[in-house]
Amino acid sequence: MGGIWVVGEVDGDGALTKLSCEAATASRLLGEAAMLDVRGVVVAAEPDAAAASMTAFLPVVIAVRAPEALERPAAAVVAARVAALAGAAAEPPAYVVVGATPDGRDLAGALAALLGVGILVGATGLAWADAADGLPAGPRVEMQPFGGRVVTTSAFTGERGIILLRPNMVAAEPLAALGRVEAAATQEIVDPAPVRVVERVVTQSTGPAIEDARVIVAGGRGVGGPDGFSGLADLAGLLGGAVGATRAAVDAGWVDYAIQIGQTGKTVKPAVYLAFGVSGAIQHKVGMQTSEIIVAVNRDPDAPIGEFADLFVVADLAAVVPALASALRARAG
Amino acid sequence: MRIVVLVKPVPDPGEERLGADGRLDRTVSAVINGNDEYVLEAALQLLDANGGDVTLLSMAPAGITDPIRKALAMGATRAVLVSDPALVGACAWSTAQVLAAALQTLEYDLVLVGADTSDGGGGVVGAAVATLLHHPYLSHARKIEPFEGGVRVERLSASGHDVLEAALPAVVGGTQLLGEPRYPTLRGIMGARSKEIAIRTLAEIGLADRAVGGAHATTTLLDARPPASRGSTRVVRGADPAAAAAAIVDFLVERRAI
Amino acid sequence: MTAAPALGRLTDDQRAIRDAVRTLARERVAPRAAEIDRSATFPEDLRALLAEQGILGLPFPERFGGLGADLLTVCLAIEALSAACATTGLILAVQELGALPLLLAGTEEQLERFVPGLAAGRDLIAFALTEADAGSDAAAVRTRAIRDGESYVVSGTKRFISHGSVAHLVIVFAVTDPEADRRRRISAFVVETDSPGFSVSRLEHKLGIRGSPTAELAFDEVRVPVANRIGAEGDGFDLAMRTLDRSRPGIAAQAIGIAQGALDAAAAYAGQRRQFGRAIGEFQLVQGLLADMDARTEAARQLLYTACDEIEHGAPDAGRWSALCKLVAGDAAMAVTTDAVQVFGGYGYLDDFPVERMMRDAKITQLYEGTQQIQRLVIARALLARNA
Repeated sequence: MGGIWVVGEVDGDGALTKLSCEAATASRLLGEAAMLDVRGVVVAAEPDAAAASMTAFLPVVIAVRAPEALERPAAAVVAARVAALAGAAAEPPAYVVVGATPDGRDLAGALAALLGVGILVGATGLAWADAADGLPAGPRVEMQPFGGRVVTTSAFTGERGIILLRPNMVAAEPLAALGRVEAAATQEIVDPAPVRVVERVVTQSTGPAIEDARVIVAGGRGVGGPDGFSGLADLAGLLGGAVGATRAAVDAGWVDYAIQIGQTGKTVKPAVYLAFGVSGAIQHKVGMQTSEIIVAVNRDPDAPIGEFADLFVVADLAAVVPALASALRARAG
Repeated sequence: MRIVVLVKPVPDPGEERLGADGRLDRTVSAVINGNDEYVLEAALQLLDANGGDVTLLSMAPAGITDPIRKALAMGATRAVLVSDPALVGACAWSTAQVLAAALQTLEYDLVLVGADTSDGGGGVVGAAVATLLHHPYLSHARKIEPFEGGVRVERLSASGHDVLEAALPAVVGGTQLLGEPRYPTLRGIMGARSKEIAIRTLAEIGLADRAVGGAHATTTLLDARPPASRGSTRVVRGADPAAAAAAIVDFLVERRAI
Repeated sequence: MTAAPALGRLTDDQRAIRDAVRTLARERVAPRAAEIDRSATFPEDLRALLAEQGILGLPFPERFGGLGADLLTVCLAIEALSAACATTGLILAVQELGALPLLLAGTEEQLERFVPGLAAGRDLIAFALTEADAGSDAAAVRTRAIRDGESYVVSGTKRFISHGSVAHLVIVFAVTDPEADRRRRISAFVVETDSPGFSVSRLEHKLGIRGSPTAELAFDEVRVPVANRIGAEGDGFDLAMRTLDRSRPGIAAQAIGIAQGALDAAAAYAGQRRQFGRAIGEFQLVQGLLADMDARTEAARQLLYTACDEIEHGAPDAGRWSALCKLVAGDAAMAVTTDAVQVFGGYGYLDDFPVERMMRDAKITQLYEGTQQIQRLVIARALLARNA
């Protein structure tokens, strides 16, 4: 049967994303259990650097040069090339694994249409199972829909599928020895309907994506304003993490939508979630409640977050934030 | 400007549950998927500015019309609901095929679709539908500006936004930044009763013999269980800031987080 | 708008409107309620919101841009708003009260002139009957309107006028014929508040509904065109009584809304507050309180719905129905809010929690639009007349 392909995502600087390294690791482990060949695929205007990085995690990485990716949104370009590769391959892939980023979702949707296969979205766990109960041998995918209120296991009914993998599901683990890059050209590409990138506007530094962060320091309405968020940024820096926010802080204009966590923002699963002035209402909770450790600081003893945090400190965050920063500095220094 | 908005009725967030058959219980009180409301608002703003009409397109069990009526009350012109018993348990791939087939029976310049759905959907349907129809797909929009024969979209990127352009007809995926959805006015609510909700079966959109629906689902749910309990909450009260900070540090150390 | 079906079940439209106003009340009004009370400031932003959503258009005919809603539907909206904030519910209730004399007896020309602005919620209207020495004894008003050519000259003072300081129009009841019989001395006029001689001479500081401006209005030889007189000379007292027959249900709705808001807060608190190792809602004495609160509120509500139906269908004893529902609802609101504070215990006395405000707000429903004592007189007279 066909093997597993992992499509690597390339960031604005041409580098392989952290999530792609995790996806490569998870796929490699799956392939070992399934006894299936696993290879990486990188499609970009300049794929070499990212493909080389991916060889730390997979024995073979196929690099496809797609110059049209400079002026088009990446996902449709990548999908067309991957579908062409799959169509031309001696053994088309059984499973394609993609990181669940905005581009990854676009890629998965397009690829599903081009290949005529189903998608399992938002995998937080990946295992292999033998044929049983009328299902073929295949991946068993764990997901946590409804904001993590339930944990499900799903499978493909056939022997093919696309899997979208969430960040922080597995730690990226390099191989003992580097793999190799194979350049490939693709023919017979079904050209996606054209979308032109007219302009790329940079308004903020490309820090690590909040979904990738191991530690998130989040602020809500209680932070009171943009100044309060610089205190949180300080803490995040000391902990090697990222700053997050609730919808209230974004709507108030204190921070950018890119770091909004919750129902209409990002879903995150960091190792540590430190929430300051966050009430823990359902719209926010569904974006972060599967974090491994949740610590909340809030003046309101009845704040809903107190019901599901691991540690709940009833105190004024304005005093605790600088005190915590001092305590962390003292430990380091 | 003729706009179709893909809307999905989902259980009220927080109320989702699985039925005895292991599938999502869709009889639980339904609302329009939160993310769809933003693109609906964008469509209504375009309607207010440019005229035309806004058609809601949905794939859902026939009885679930309340959320559709609410969307009509917000100002949409009409609704088309694809409903067929065969569709119970349909997967995302089926959904995309059904919506694409339904779109082929409609006339439109622009199709708007929300980001992922609160009931476990993945935000992949928009891309799949666009690919099936060979339409340009412009996703993660924070601003949508049609112009003569085309549309310009500001797409969120990791470092800011990209400005994209494509010819119409096009599929555009939206985000919360498109604007807070309006409340239906009382006049809108009263007017919604007379707006059309057309029900279409699979046969009526040309998919009678196609492998879509629950029987042809590409994915299946094997198991559902509550998450592992987080355990009890440790509460710290009445501590001065230094003691509170120390409690946090000690806790993180104890849990080997730092 | 279809009439209410039998047996008090709401129509789809009524339910949809009630639910839409409830959503708005919960999301946009409730967060403002405490601050409106604390600052005693009229919530102009919420007035604008109610106007924009068409809520202030409910009582007005469709041909003037209103929604042509029946009395029950207007009451459903007042109730839903009042559950979040009594001051905000009153915005709709006073708009209806003030406009009723026009809707009941205005000419088409007067309606065309005044109603579009009212229906749009852009213009507010107040009802000025009460004076310092004419409260329950409404016929004893002394404000004078003297005919002078094509105008009347109005002089006098009105007291306790809700929205008096924010209204564009005021319906003023003034004496046109001091020699006539008590009930034929008074006429009703639409006074535009930008008229020279009109001023707000005092704003009251009140126990409750503190965000609603209650004003003393001074009329110093205000010229009012004859075209602004509603009905014929001498029709005023009767028009005022017919107005109150239709507007008292609105106050009943406000009272029921206040009671429901207090009941919901108390029930939620009882589910969370823990003493002696249990939620206090598990204790029978608390359950008893809550059950009685629910029974009284629901009874008042069902009486209101029936009263609205009767009045809408032209019942000859509309006055009795209107007095019954206002009497029962006002007393229910006072009892239920007092008990709500009781459920909260000491915390109920603090302004950190909404129930003390609701208790203060409830009291007015036993006082305005006819005191509870006046309601009893109306009911007793109707009863005795039936049995004479």
